[in-house]
Amino acid sequence: MDTIRKWRKRMAAAVLALGVVALAAPAGSQQGVTIQTFQFKPTPVEVPARTKVSFTNQDDITHIVTSGTPESPDGKFSQKLEGKGAVAIFELSQPGVYPYFCERHRSMRGEIRVK
Amino acid sequence: MKRVFVSLVGAVAAAALLALNMGAAHAQEYKAQQGHAMTAMATSTTKASGLRSTLNTLFQEHIYLAAAATGAALGGREAEFKAAAAALDANSVSISKAIGSVYGQGAEDAFLPLWRKHIGMVVDYTVGVAANDKAKQDKAVADLIGYTQDFGAFLQSANPNLPKSVVADLVKHHVVTLKEVIDAQASKDQVKAYTAMRTAAGHMQMIADPLAEAIVKQFPDKFGS
Repeated sequence: MDTIRKWRKRMAAAVLALGVVALAAPAGSQQGVTIQTFQFKPTPVEVPARTKVSFTNQDDITHIVTSGTPESPDGKFSQKLEGKGAVAIFELSQPGVYPYFCERHRSMRGEIRVK
Repeated sequence: MKRVFVSLVGAVAAAALLALNMGAAHAQEYKAQQGHAMTAMATSTTKASGLRSTLNTLFQEHIYLAAAATGAALGGREAEFKAAAAALDANSVSISKAIGSVYGQGAEDAFLPLWRKHIGMVVDYTVGVAANDKAKQDKAVADLIGYTQDFGAFLQSANPNLPKSVVADLVKHHVVTLKEVIDAQASKDQVKAYTAMRTAAGHMQMIADPLAEAIVKQFPDKFGS
């Protein structure tokens, strides 16, 4: 129960801070990141502000895409991708560099650069 | 004299056949090709066999070095433990390089921390055994069992010929056989420890062989001959 609350909190914080939205986001340009063989591909990705960045899990295992670094998660976004085919979409409205990692496999890291 | 005659007759007959029957020439050519093929098949130095023996060597080395490290740790021999742990890590790097030689640098970089992760869990288990801490032991075993799913998912993602559940079961058996070694070392039963070590090392062929086979099947052009 605590975990669910924690997730909700994090997602709410992400929405407020960055305009992170789910699949219902308005149509616009989109950049895809694939998670395969425990790697984010491609990385880094450079996108204009308000581009939707999708993460598609191609591994048959849960990955958790979380903003920040394993040493210092920043709470901007976090989404659990449970198994092959799971998709998460984030929209980042503020220019900046957004590192992210997988919470379950902390050596998996990537970066989104918003212009 | 008779042998010379037979040879001469044979040569004349062969020449006649060569002149009159191109089919025979093709047959000879075919026979020669078969001879070459047989010679090629007889070698033990194909790329596929090289891959298979490399993986077997590395995975078996993993067991003996891990056992050396846990044995030294449980015996309180710190310098030996450090040396064994360093050698074990060098073995981990070699295994990841073997993966990288097939699947590229990205896969190598992803594989190494994943592989090292299970070694950390084995260390946790050993520390739990040394401290007689059952809860720590149980947590380490649970982590290792969970890890088998990750490892299975990694290999399945790299190679569709390796089903996750099958790989996970094989790695689970690796965990169990290595645990037997550590438990025997902790109880100072050397006969049992070394017997278990051989069993654990022997089991690694059950991982190395299918992995090599699946890679060869996935990249027939690279390992086909």
